[in-house]
Amino acid sequence: MEYFSLKRSSAADRGQTNLSSKVYVRSTKSGKVQKIVQELYLRQDIPCSSNLCRACLQIAPTDYKEKTTPFVLSDTPVGSENYPNGQYLVPDTNAFLTGMDLFEVETAFHDVIVLQTVLEEVKNRSLPLYHRLIALTKNEGKRFYVFFNEFRMETHVQRDPGETINDRNDRAVRKAVQWYNQHITEAVAARSKKSKRIPSVIMITDDRDNLRKANAEQIPGSTLSNFVAGLENADELLDMISAAQERREVRSSKPEVFYPEYFSMSKMMTGVKAGTLHQGVFNVSPYNYLEGSVHVSAFDKSLLILGRENSNRAVSGDIVVVEVLPQDQWKAPSTKIIEEETLNKNDNPEAEDGETIISERERRALQDEVKRVHSEGTEGRPQPTARVVGITKRNWRQYVGHIDRDSVRSNSKSSRVQQIVFLVPMDKRIPKIRIRTRQAGELLGQRILASIDSWERDSRYPVGHFVRSLGQLESKGAETEALLLEWDVQYRPFPKTVLDCLPVEGHDWKVPASLGDPGWKNRKDLRDLLVCSIDPPGCVDIDDALHATKLPNGNFQVGVHIADVSHFVKPNNAMDKEASQRGTTVYLVDKRIDMLPMLLGTDLCSLKPYVERYAFSVLWEITPDADIVSADFTKSVIRSREAFSYEQAQIRIDDKSQQDDLTNGMRTLLMLSKKLRQKRMDAGALNLASPEVKVQTESETSDPVDVQTKKLLDTNSLVEEFMLLANTSVAGKNYEAFPQTALLRRHGSPPKTNFEELSNQLKIKKGLELRVDSSKALADSLDTCVDSQEPFFNTLVRIMATRCMMSAEYFCSGTQAYPEFRHYGLASEIYTHFTSPIRRYADLEAHRQLAAAIDYEPLQPSLQSRPKLEGVCKNINVRHRNAQQAGRASIEYYVGQALKGKDIIEDGFIMKIFSNGFVVFVPRFGIESLIRLRDLESPEPDAVFDAENYVLDVKGGVERKVELFEKVRVRITDQVEESTGKRKVKLGLV
Amino acid sequence: MPPSQPALVSLSPAELSYLRSTLAQRPPIRLDATKGPLDFRSMRAEHDVLPGTNGSARIALEDGTEALVGVKAAVEPSPLSAALWAGHEKLTVAAGVDTHRGADNLHSSTGRGRDAWVEMSVEIPGFRDDDALPVFLAAMLRETLLATGALTDRLHINRRFHWKLCIDILLLSPPLSYPLALLSMTTHLALLTTRLPALKSENDEDPMFDDDWDAAVALYPRSSAAVDGPPHTDKPPVIVLAMVVGENIIFDPCKEELAVADGVLAIACASAPSPSDGARLVGFRTVDPPSHLTPPGVPNAMNTATGGVAPASSADALTQRELLANSGVWRPPRGGIKRALLANMCDLATAKGGVAEELLSALQSIEVG
Repeated sequence: MEYFSLKRSSAADRGQTNLSSKVYVRSTKSGKVQKIVQELYLRQDIPCSSNLCRACLQIAPTDYKEKTTPFVLSDTPVGSENYPNGQYLVPDTNAFLTGMDLFEVETAFHDVIVLQTVLEEVKNRSLPLYHRLIALTKNEGKRFYVFFNEFRMETHVQRDPGETINDRNDRAVRKAVQWYNQHITEAVAARSKKSKRIPSVIMITDDRDNLRKANAEQIPGSTLSNFVAGLENADELLDMISAAQERREVRSSKPEVFYPEYFSMSKMMTGVKAGTLHQGVFNVSPYNYLEGSVHVSAFDKSLLILGRENSNRAVSGDIVVVEVLPQDQWKAPSTKIIEEETLNKNDNPEAEDGETIISERERRALQDEVKRVHSEGTEGRPQPTARVVGITKRNWRQYVGHIDRDSVRSNSKSSRVQQIVFLVPMDKRIPKIRIRTRQAGELLGQRILASIDSWERDSRYPVGHFVRSLGQLESKGAETEALLLEWDVQYRPFPKTVLDCLPVEGHDWKVPASLGDPGWKNRKDLRDLLVCSIDPPGCVDIDDALHATKLPNGNFQVGVHIADVSHFVKPNNAMDKEASQRGTTVYLVDKRIDMLPMLLGTDLCSLKPYVERYAFSVLWEITPDADIVSADFTKSVIRSREAFSYEQAQIRIDDKSQQDDLTNGMRTLLMLSKKLRQKRMDAGALNLASPEVKVQTESETSDPVDVQTKKLLDTNSLVEEFMLLANTSVAGKNYEAFPQTALLRRHGSPPKTNFEELSNQLKIKKGLELRVDSSKALADSLDTCVDSQEPFFNTLVRIMATRCMMSAEYFCSGTQAYPEFRHYGLASEIYTHFTSPIRRYADLEAHRQLAAAIDYEPLQPSLQSRPKLEGVCKNINVRHRNAQQAGRASIEYYVGQALKGKDIIEDGFIMKIFSNGFVVFVPRFGIESLIRLRDLESPEPDAVFDAENYVLDVKGGVERKVELFEKVRVRITDQVEESTGKRKVKLGLV
Repeated sequence: MPPSQPALVSLSPAELSYLRSTLAQRPPIRLDATKGPLDFRSMRAEHDVLPGTNGSARIALEDGTEALVGVKAAVEPSPLSAALWAGHEKLTVAAGVDTHRGADNLHSSTGRGRDAWVEMSVEIPGFRDDDALPVFLAAMLRETLLATGALTDRLHINRRFHWKLCIDILLLSPPLSYPLALLSMTTHLALLTTRLPALKSENDEDPMFDDDWDAAVALYPRSSAAVDGPPHTDKPPVIVLAMVVGENIIFDPCKEELAVADGVLAIACASAPSPSDGARLVGFRTVDPPSHLTPPGVPNAMNTATGGVAPASSADALTQRELLANSGVWRPPRGGIKRALLANMCDLATAKGGVAEELLSALQSIEVG
């Protein structure tokens, strides 16, 4: 009987093994489980990419231009003691997982072969690390080469029956290393008969079994730490190895377990789906590091998470799954300030024995809390509490901090003993990080970047490793870099690919003289208009300019002209991608981190005076009562007549002797802007306040000299009104043209519960009523919140009200219903950002959409795709928030520096009150600081806290009542905290 | 019962008569004279032929009939238990007790499977999928698999989810002989080699599976040598075909033999709970033998050409044929099997060392080999 097997059996075609397959199980999101069989076609034309090899150069595949990709690995790689002929490194997966920071070091780790097996495994284990690895392979100087060993016939490895995946992958790595060694030897031999310098290909692995097998097979291998130990400045490099993989056997034999185990992933997912567990982002209160909250979609209010045990190793920012605790464990949020450094000052980072998850003092602090809640009975309104049962996604990043001086055993600089020290992160919400270092002495007093590697159940604090030092504490460079890192601001110089996108003429670029030039196509010639710009003093990136002229019919023509950035930044080129990544320009006190390269931002796009510039203009016809008759949008060419600062403009307007057309135009603008503003206010726009101060710096050294609150002039609001008008008009136009994909900005109306506390405080302390039904009601009731004795009181209330609101956000119009478009603060139905394309990416996108809406140019497909736009919105929302925070942090730092060594007495207001301290806001410097009871007197005075009336009755020697909104005189000094070496503004009651 | 295939055997009445008498001898002489009445035709079998399926097998018989079976498994939510789960949720949330309190008694009971969890389709070249033959074959095969309930119990994942098994049976050749036994054997082999991804989640959680195919568990695990006795495995049932000619019982008849059968029986057997008992009878059905449709021979007495007298009416013809029953002239059998014979057939199939046990162990060894 003739019989043919249907199987493509591996036995039958042993001779011709260019075909292999891979079988695995894939679980899809929708719950399907599939067996996947992938066929692999093995090739022989995957080059080794070593410049030593000529054979591979001939077989390497070519692109459509008949060119092969240039080879990566150097022909003269660096050697080491054991391998004097030079070495190529082949790290395994764990080497990358534990030592990614090492591989990123510029001075070492060149000529690295990244195997496909390893790359895929890294991708499965950690996506962020995978992206970093990919970035490394693109870095030309590092010479990282991805070798597709699974596709090359000689290095492909079939999984043996009964072999685990890990063993198979290890074998694949060994096989590849073996092949490489042989291949390189042959290549060198083919090159010249005499050459004796044959580089070794070394496997880097920490897997003992793998190393043993490699030894047996005569494959050169080394552990990561052994390899690093042979390099220069090994001490620093060794500190950069992640501690996560560190074997537990070093620890005491029976580790004590402090934290409950996490639920399995499937259990959490089932629970979340069924609604018994909840998922959300874990946030830690900045006042109390033991109190966290998680906002989950199921409830309006956040769930409280109290204590270390309940927060179960979650770090602020992680996405966690929580379980609501039974009602008898519900508590009111704390009214007490609890800071980690004061409670756990005496922890020993090395000690493992007898370590408790909750130190005695923490326990006492919590007990006091419970007592307080209980004594309040129903009034205290206990809130639902929850405990963390698992973590869906760690959002650990790199943290900036400094070494806790008390945790260092020997701080002699010469000592190279490895010791474990604490790193105290700048961000108070992040727990101390346990770090192993050999350079403790040197690192003291420096700003340090570190990352968290793991947090095991038997360790009270997370374990991390040193990444690099930013410099001395309080040095300007280190502190600036620190806050840029903390807020994830991309501050590296623009790469060459971005600069290549700039116009070739550079600074000599001019608006083409001939009207026939393609640049003039569909562009209006508005060079005759008397346009001027009004900006803060010293502004170089001028986004906007204005003009107003009287029309024959008695109405006015008003124009807002915005820099035409979209002419220079074309969608999807390298510059556009970089700008969309950065999202916004970040303004620090002494530094500006641009979204676009300088050439564009401060010259070609900037609407500088006296020169012709491309612009995107919005032209309105407005009646003298400030009603809009019509709006027109066009690309244009303008010539700004003057660039004023707010102050100069104000002086010019106020100067009656100036009667030229330009000045009169500005007067018209001012008149119209006041009417527009009134209309807006009538519609219910909010006049909010935030504590803004300006740091004056010495021009040369940019050392802070003085701090001032910002003055607001009429001209400020002149510009603001017309920018709002332009934004609103453009938003309407873009939405009309692209109902699904217009990029808009909304400000959700805050839930009433947000105002509950403030409104209660106002009622009790001042007998005032805050109505929050609509923005109009809120605006009106905020106007009534005045204290005739104290003019600042109103501003204070506005500042506090602002904090109760939601933050505005960019969104894509298809994702929300029209009523949700509303901008609460501006009381506008629809709004977008259009007027600052030089410094905001959202504006640039709005420009492109508007250009398409007026048929100037076709819309780029990426701007029509909703998912892509949603991604852009998500990113710029984050960037925008980060930029604001970084700016604030920068001001805060400089205010601190300006106050260095001073002793000032100022007025302050009490903003928030706790049972053991209160927060004072000093308007003069815009600083907000905590005064603890123990700062008032030592020993800490007793106090009676009346939470219902917001009064803290301090006993003891101080003998004084402190209540909310009270105006107090405070003494401002600065102080270097002994334990941390950190300078802080310190307030004291006078 | 199901009608046999229309494909008729092209044998003359004389040949049929000859065939029948050889088979009716004691001992019978089969068409393949080397085989005894209990012997199966030789076959070639292989498994895991379709890489994309959870289990697959192919069997080709010596007469050229060939079947291919693929088994695919998909995760499905169990609707009934979902309601149960939701109720359970409400209860525990209100009481504030541990959600997974009831988890202990999850894996104790049998009979958790539902018949709808197994789906079967039979495709035979030249037949539409709603033709009688494929539909009946599918129904019989499925009925056999579900008869013990052991298969569907294996498909239970937890109270909220189960595996749904889709068994696709493809007859690669035209149905030369009655293909029931072949399809059943191929299905049996495919199920024996079927593996399901290993479960990682616990209790009533949404199921999560190990992505390593090598870790997948067999639907019918081969038990390693148990401590309390010889190794024993539960196996899916298999159907053997037996026919009766006179007093003789012949297993696994070929096409021509079927054409002269007095009666045909499909016997479904599964492995017995204890290995000493041979096999277990799961069920049996009589199959309408194709011999009913064979053309009767014309005896000389009725043939005018040989000097006989043609019967005047068809009723007359029938009467005459009855009278000539034992004359050796072929006439289609009337069917029916005596009870004693029936019992005998079942005994032969299920006895220790009987046909079924032999077949089951033979198929098992294919899997091993």
